[in-house]
Amino acid sequence: MLHYYDPSIQSYEPGKNGLNPDFDYGTPASVSETLVSISVDGRDITVPEGTSILRASALAGINIPKLCASDNLEAFGSCRLCAVEIEGRRGYPASCTTPVAEGMEVTTQTGQLAKLRRNIMELYISDHPLDCLTCPANGNCELQDVAGAVGLREVRYGFEGENHLDAEIDDSNPYFSFDPSKCIVCSRCVRACEEVQGTFALTIEGRGFDSKVAASQNDPFMDSECVSCGACVQACPTSTLMEKSVIDAGQPEHSVVTTCAYCGVGCSFKAEMKGDQLIRMVPYKGGEANHGHSCVKGRFAFGYATHDDRIKEPMIRDSINDPWKVVSWDEALAFSAKKLKGIQAKYGRESIGGITSSRCTNEETYLVQKLVRAAFGNNNTDTCARVCHSPTGYGLKTTLGESAGTQTFDSVMKADTIMVIGANPTDAHPVFGSLMRKRLRQGAKLIVIDPRRIDVLNTPHGGEGIHLPLRPGTNVAIVNALAHVIVTEGLEDNDFINSRCDTDAYNIWRSFIAEERNSPEAMEAVTGVAADKVREAARLYAQAGNGAIYYGLGVTEHSQGSTMVMGIANLALATGNIGKEGGGVNPLRGQNNVQGSCDMGSFPHELPGYQHVNDPKVRERFQSVWGVPIDDEPGLRIPNMFDAAIAGTFKALYVQGEDIAQSDPNTQHVEAALKALDCLIVQDIFLNETAKFAHVLLPGSTFLEKNGTFTNAERRINRVRKVMEPIAGMEDWQVTMALSNALGYHMHYNHPSEIMDEIASLTPTFTGVNYDKLEQLGSIQWPCNDEHPDGTPTMHTADFPIGKGRFAVTEYLATEERASRRFPLLLTTGRILSQYNVGAQTRRTSNSDWHEEDVLELHPSDAELRGVKDGDWLGISSRVGHTVLRAKLSTRMLPGVVYTTFHHPGSGANVVTTDNSDWATNCPEYKVTAVQVEKVSQPSDWQRDFVDFDKRQQALLKPAMGQQEGSHANALK
Amino acid sequence: MSDQQLNNLIKMLDQIIANNRHHGDEDKVTDVAADHLHKFWARSMKKQVIAYANENPEALSELPRMTIGKLACVADSKEQPAS
Repeated sequence: MLHYYDPSIQSYEPGKNGLNPDFDYGTPASVSETLVSISVDGRDITVPEGTSILRASALAGINIPKLCASDNLEAFGSCRLCAVEIEGRRGYPASCTTPVAEGMEVTTQTGQLAKLRRNIMELYISDHPLDCLTCPANGNCELQDVAGAVGLREVRYGFEGENHLDAEIDDSNPYFSFDPSKCIVCSRCVRACEEVQGTFALTIEGRGFDSKVAASQNDPFMDSECVSCGACVQACPTSTLMEKSVIDAGQPEHSVVTTCAYCGVGCSFKAEMKGDQLIRMVPYKGGEANHGHSCVKGRFAFGYATHDDRIKEPMIRDSINDPWKVVSWDEALAFSAKKLKGIQAKYGRESIGGITSSRCTNEETYLVQKLVRAAFGNNNTDTCARVCHSPTGYGLKTTLGESAGTQTFDSVMKADTIMVIGANPTDAHPVFGSLMRKRLRQGAKLIVIDPRRIDVLNTPHGGEGIHLPLRPGTNVAIVNALAHVIVTEGLEDNDFINSRCDTDAYNIWRSFIAEERNSPEAMEAVTGVAADKVREAARLYAQAGNGAIYYGLGVTEHSQGSTMVMGIANLALATGNIGKEGGGVNPLRGQNNVQGSCDMGSFPHELPGYQHVNDPKVRERFQSVWGVPIDDEPGLRIPNMFDAAIAGTFKALYVQGEDIAQSDPNTQHVEAALKALDCLIVQDIFLNETAKFAHVLLPGSTFLEKNGTFTNAERRINRVRKVMEPIAGMEDWQVTMALSNALGYHMHYNHPSEIMDEIASLTPTFTGVNYDKLEQLGSIQWPCNDEHPDGTPTMHTADFPIGKGRFAVTEYLATEERASRRFPLLLTTGRILSQYNVGAQTRRTSNSDWHEEDVLELHPSDAELRGVKDGDWLGISSRVGHTVLRAKLSTRMLPGVVYTTFHHPGSGANVVTTDNSDWATNCPEYKVTAVQVEKVSQPSDWQRDFVDFDKRQQALLKPAMGQQEGSHANALK
Repeated sequence: MSDQQLNNLIKMLDQIIANNRHHGDEDKVTDVAADHLHKFWARSMKKQVIAYANENPEALSELPRMTIGKLACVADSKEQPAS
């Protein structure tokens, strides 16, 4: 059957075109709008100009043998298996490197071609082990398939000659093995590392017969620059690069497409299974967020799902000093309901609350906030976005009218200048980081505003970026200086401003920003960044054509986080970089569903869809569906809950999938609050740090054990599909539903799709979303409603939800957290690639091989002043706490700035951070803490107490874990 | 209500006012700040600062006092709806 390829559709959209994401078309799609018609083996096919003959043939349903080609890599032309004959041309050109030409007549199967292909395969196989039956790729080997396809029947050269069959296996990577004896040196792995991942860790070493794949300088993979993204493993057509899980278990027999539960990129994966055992996660080419790429977390770090530490049965206890008691679901829920009701009867309706999870699905998050508002009868609901992107919600809603990023990830491929502020995409959003690097290699310019020299500045072949290494806490000063240059040098997009922005707000802002005190020269003393560099960056961004801003928690986690978000929106509005591809304001959301958790009404002042609780019409709609009155006053935010708990007015908390004891700032304050609660109900997959203070432990389910949806940083709603049964019998939404029913507020849903239907009925930006449409389209970017039935890839193309874009005055105010004689250094915190947030998942995988402990990075000059060497124990003291970490000397920060991560609870990074917060949202100021560091010889008091408390809590859990293992002997595979 | 809780509330209020000084005169600034508290603070937090301002009017500087006064008016009007 002949497929006609529609060039207006460049990617697979189920139901819309004929491309199959499970099929390899050989070379990438061409984006040309000019069409070319050719004939292949007598079949006519029309494709965009620039398409290879190999791809055109595949689109016509004719499969030409290939080994070195793959449609996620540029054509290479090394294996020559895809040779064809072209009427009027001499020889046998490689179809992968030969573009189509109008009227071309191609023949793919002739006697000469068959002979040529067999000869090539004969040469390959003469240096390949003939162990197909015991090879881990057996049944899924392209080399085997092609040998079959070309009809190879003999190897005339024998196997006695010089060969590579004794090449040594490199087993250093915990997740995959490198067996060079199986390698055919097609260089797909090398090209995947370059073109897809952008790390350039692999190379072909040697020449001729000695050519071989090598990591870095012929190092073991673990010692090389390899970041274990898995692109090479996926690209390998043999078993040279092979997942160890497949080597151990054999080829999977079925697969389910689902969405990764790590960062906010929201990659689609095929969970490849054997029965209910997950063998491997393979990035799904049909995923619109990742297009078949992955990182070390999503690709490999899934072993936590079946870790022995999983909580498999509900448990209760009266006091945190008591041992846990395993009980039935009914007993645990009745115990919880009785406690919650009793506390409300004694302390009032507002004395309890809940925290939704940014790791759980939209449907689960929706139910938790509904439970709080409808069953608890108050608005004391919050989520971890409080401590990460709540300023994004506030700032973007104020200026652009919607609390979300404006673009797709793919938009970066049309950006001419990319500005990265307070984000570290190659570590925290690695798959998007690779896409950004791809664009940089194509010539886009880069501006990085960050106290640290982040890796995207070191993009191989990515050109020279401008780095503005500002002092922590001076974001608003620098964004104002950038805007000052744009305004005073006449770089504004006046057409956009006149037609799309509120004139009064613009005039007020313009006169403010043009004041000399906002100039780069005036701000130089504040930011520490040379004025000429700031001017250069402003010109580059404003005159780029398409200027795109990507930002992260280095923007939001400040005392002026919301102001900075508005400052970023001002920049985009002033330069007309809104409402078009290649531009935009792009918050890189941290957790898999942090966008969704905000969308679903997790914040105490907003019902789902960012609808304020004090709007009577909004409440009326919810009340009519929920059947109960909704409080018209906002509830407590997480930090307010802690304060109220310590004050004795807030007594019970239901926490779903969130580890506030480790992730929130000023740990000792958080611990005091948790200890003050009469009832803490934690629903999680492990006994996390928060659960050690709990009275009820409800087993959570991983993303592999449930149905639902996640919404990523580009507002893309993606399906999460169950691949195995929940370990404790209930998915998280079912647990919340059961708790609500135990409390007497009736909830009944048979499937998360019914919850989504309710969400759609109440949320104007979701009215068109349903599971059938998600199946049909693959994913949907909200808003999805009558105006945008298939979703909205780029926001604000014609107007803003608030009509006109609103410039906001962004006065810089220095944080109160300042360096002093006593605390002369500024600590800033962040993440690394291999670990994820509090590490509860990744610490229970081999990812810890890359990062066993958190360390304190400090500049050599600060180290020298203190006599500190690499590896020394360092005491870090702030105004609120003290902890001890090992020193790592680094020139990534300027002198005066130190840096650490918070992936390991015993590190106590948040013992040091303060409870200073953003003025508008209470988002903590993690990124600025004044500290002193000095050499020490022992852990801090807090760390000693932590170890003791952890031992005690593990001991209180151990008998219960033994009991549950006995009763659920077969629950874990 | 603890001292720490109250201190935090006053600190937050000061921050909100400081970040909205650009709106103009004291009347406008306190309008914006009171509206912010109205939209984002929980009932219990509002009650605490209103009670504190009533009991200790001299302990607060002008703008926080004005802001809380405006917040109290909104709270009163909600508690006593027009018949």
